[in-house]
Amino acid sequence: MTRRGFLAGAASCALFAPGPLHAAGVPARIVSLDYGLAETLLALGVTPVALAQADAWSSWVVDPALPEGVINLGTALEANMELLQALRPDLILTTPYLARLRPMLERIARTETFAIYTPGGGTPYGLSIAATRRLGGLLGRDLQAEALISSAAALMATTRATLAPYADTPLFIVNFMDTRHVRVYGAKSLFDDVIGLCGLSNAWRGDTNYWGFATVGIEQLAHAPQARLIYLEPIAADVLASLHRSPLWNSLGFVRAGQVQRLPAVLMFGMLPSAMRFARLLGETLPKAPSHG
Amino acid sequence: MGERQRLGPAAIVALLALAAAAITLSTLALRLPVTLWPDALFAPDSGDVRQMLVRYSFAPRLATSLLCGAALGLAGALLQLALRNPLASPTTLGISAGANLALALAMLWAPGLLEFGREWIAMAGGLVTVLIVLALSWHKRLSPLTVVLAGMVVSLYCGALAALLVLFNTHYLAGLFIWGGGSLSQQDWTIAAFLWPRLALALGAAALLVRPLTLLTLDDDHARSLGLRVPLVRLAALALAVALTGAVVGTVGVIGFIGLAAPALVTVAGARRVAPRLIWSALLGAVLLWFTDQCVQRLAGDAGEMLPTGAITAVFGSPLLLWLLPRLRLSLHLPSGLGGSISRANRPLLLIVGLGLGLVVLLTLSVSVGRGLEGWSLSADLLEWRWPRALAALSAGIMLACAGGVLQRLTGNPMASPEVLGVSAGAAFGLIVAMFTLAEVGRGAQFGAATLGAFLALLAILAFGRGGAATPERVLLAGVALGAMFDALVTALMAGGDPRAAQLLNWMTGSTYAVDATDARVATAAAALALGSLPLLARWLDIVPLGALTSSAIGLHPRRSHGLLLLVTAALTAVSTLLIGPLTFVGLMAPHLARFLGLQRALPQLVGAALIGGVIMVAADWLGRIVAFPWQIPAGLAATFIGCPALMWLLARRHSV
Repeated sequence: MTRRGFLAGAASCALFAPGPLHAAGVPARIVSLDYGLAETLLALGVTPVALAQADAWSSWVVDPALPEGVINLGTALEANMELLQALRPDLILTTPYLARLRPMLERIARTETFAIYTPGGGTPYGLSIAATRRLGGLLGRDLQAEALISSAAALMATTRATLAPYADTPLFIVNFMDTRHVRVYGAKSLFDDVIGLCGLSNAWRGDTNYWGFATVGIEQLAHAPQARLIYLEPIAADVLASLHRSPLWNSLGFVRAGQVQRLPAVLMFGMLPSAMRFARLLGETLPKAPSHG
Repeated sequence: MGERQRLGPAAIVALLALAAAAITLSTLALRLPVTLWPDALFAPDSGDVRQMLVRYSFAPRLATSLLCGAALGLAGALLQLALRNPLASPTTLGISAGANLALALAMLWAPGLLEFGREWIAMAGGLVTVLIVLALSWHKRLSPLTVVLAGMVVSLYCGALAALLVLFNTHYLAGLFIWGGGSLSQQDWTIAAFLWPRLALALGAAALLVRPLTLLTLDDDHARSLGLRVPLVRLAALALAVALTGAVVGTVGVIGFIGLAAPALVTVAGARRVAPRLIWSALLGAVLLWFTDQCVQRLAGDAGEMLPTGAITAVFGSPLLLWLLPRLRLSLHLPSGLGGSISRANRPLLLIVGLGLGLVVLLTLSVSVGRGLEGWSLSADLLEWRWPRALAALSAGIMLACAGGVLQRLTGNPMASPEVLGVSAGAAFGLIVAMFTLAEVGRGAQFGAATLGAFLALLAILAFGRGGAATPERVLLAGVALGAMFDALVTALMAGGDPRAAQLLNWMTGSTYAVDATDARVATAAAALALGSLPLLARWLDIVPLGALTSSAIGLHPRRSHGLLLLVTAALTAVSTLLIGPLTFVGLMAPHLARFLGLQRALPQLVGAALIGGVIMVAADWLGRIVAFPWQIPAGLAATFIGCPALMWLLARRHSV
């Protein structure tokens, strides 16, 4: 079994990593326990061997698609150690959220922790830049990392220019949890950072946890009547119909002004690629709304 | 019962209503100037957010709290009357858990169904579970304790399934946490409009049932001789209660304890006849929920952070129930099967040796057989990952089984076990307090906090059970109350989306995943110690039930041996709860299975139970690891999946005895 495992591993190495070009000592078989780190890997041109919760990638990250053959490790909080060991990774990427696993992971391979969403200081976008640089250094892909960082900055700048006419309308960014509650993204969220970089402002001024969101009843959105509401997929089947029947919902400023827009799913706990995807979607979507007045 | 001067149900309702009204008015005054109230309520200015919020959020929320409370109070009273069971309620009969599970399943695999309305899905789920509960206890003629036991087992099973779904799909089912917490937050009148005609209809139907239910308060034979079709009346009342509960849990979610506390409080306050009990239960339920919800809104404040009312009612409700307990008139009989005698095994030693051999075989299988990318394999190179888990599971199983056996013997209560009596919940509670107050919680601190929690819970339970006759039912009810309080706390944490809550859920489901070699060694040592001290414990246990006089005549200090037994039980529970969470039913099941195999005397029963507990947990850990590869089902949950059916089978089977 181990021999076959090794062969399978070797095959995937040959497929995904430009082996001969690699300097010695650069890890080739990489495992990620976090979506944000995995999407950054992909953006740097590296395909992870395995990923926690790989099966739900297409519902939460969507773009870029996960290349075929990435092995699913089960849930992140309980990634399958036996499977992980059989895969013989060179490097495991994880987050402080999974700190409990670290001693076990270190028995298998070199383990690197990247802190993006933590109670500590810094904003997700800034921390993502630092993490991307560090990841590029670890993988011998400094150039690709710098390219990713500057293309993200460039995209933010162009989006800022595109969205200049909308600069004075604050935005609510929400996920509908059910027919009565939303998860609203505020300070310390990736979306909040992107909104700021694109010259827009966040309508949610309330408290958020260190993942950057608060779970509140929909009526809490009434306090910023001049705002615009952007909701992200996925959304349960009965939510919209039930909202349309609600007088309170219909009386909210952004509903009356027709300033409610739907966005495809974007990873809320992601890194630079998700930030870019969010900015791109905002740039495409906001101008489609009816103009002011 | 002493004839002290008591508040009647009317006075209680009036007092609570007054308090609730005061809070309501003062909150409303903060939200909107008094002069605008009539405008807001009758002709709101849609441009004024404050008026719209009062008209479409504050007012319907108030109405919904009243309606839901009344519906649950009525449902609880109907269930208690129909089953002649003061412990019956939507929560204890598994109706809420079934509704919760049905909704989770629909969200994952049939999202299209949601368009028909969440309430229908919830109602169907509640109906299925209550039918299962009744089927399981049918042969015992729905004896009260059997019904509640079956209800708890089915609840647990549904809860385990729902937890598993949430664990594997945390992102998708985030909404379920809110729903499970019973948030009353409203944006329009649809829920109130949905509920009130149903409540009115149910009240009408209940009025028709008053006479038959009155006859039912006699015993079955009397009622039958008066021409009452007992099963029919029971089923009608049950169906009504399920419909009421389904309507509530489907629209706002699980609201704990109102359905149990309101009717019980009304009975204690002196309502005896059927009609007043129904009416006052509904009214008291309404004002209870109204009062609670206003307090919750006040607590949450304008920031509006998530505080689900349903979870909070359970936190408020549990102490209330504990207070009620000594005041409840409980004249119940034990389910004949569980307490009854069983033929003794001819060769207990042979049986125990057989069990031990089985355990060894299973342990070997568990560390050597697993799944990988290429399918099944028999290999030894993954041993380092497997042995700590297997040993930890084994030790936890042994310790829980011992704790359960000791408790059952000590209290003379066939239903006693660390899980049922809330001792596990106490341990878990201690751990949570440590987790959220201390920055860094090492294993030592965890063990200390858990033991303290378990011991306090055990003391509380026994204190409440004492005084007058410590009937098994009272002790049981106190345990249920503690367990529900702990559950509610976790639900409240989950609903807010605190990331620590996901880790909490992970631990609660009894995962052996993160057990390391040191943990496993300590656990094994503790289990060995427990096994070693069994002969000593067993000597006491054979004597203690004989009564204080006999035991002191034999030379045992009853107080001291009693206290020591309790301490041992608490410590055993704490260690095993740390390892496999508070949710397994191993401590309840294993001693029963041992007895069922014919091990009667204290020592053989305890040893047999320990071995059976070990077998169940090792099997659970192993199966959990391989069944859903690469996903892993936590051992605690897997044990529930194995143990619950075993317990149900026991329940359903013993009717012939």
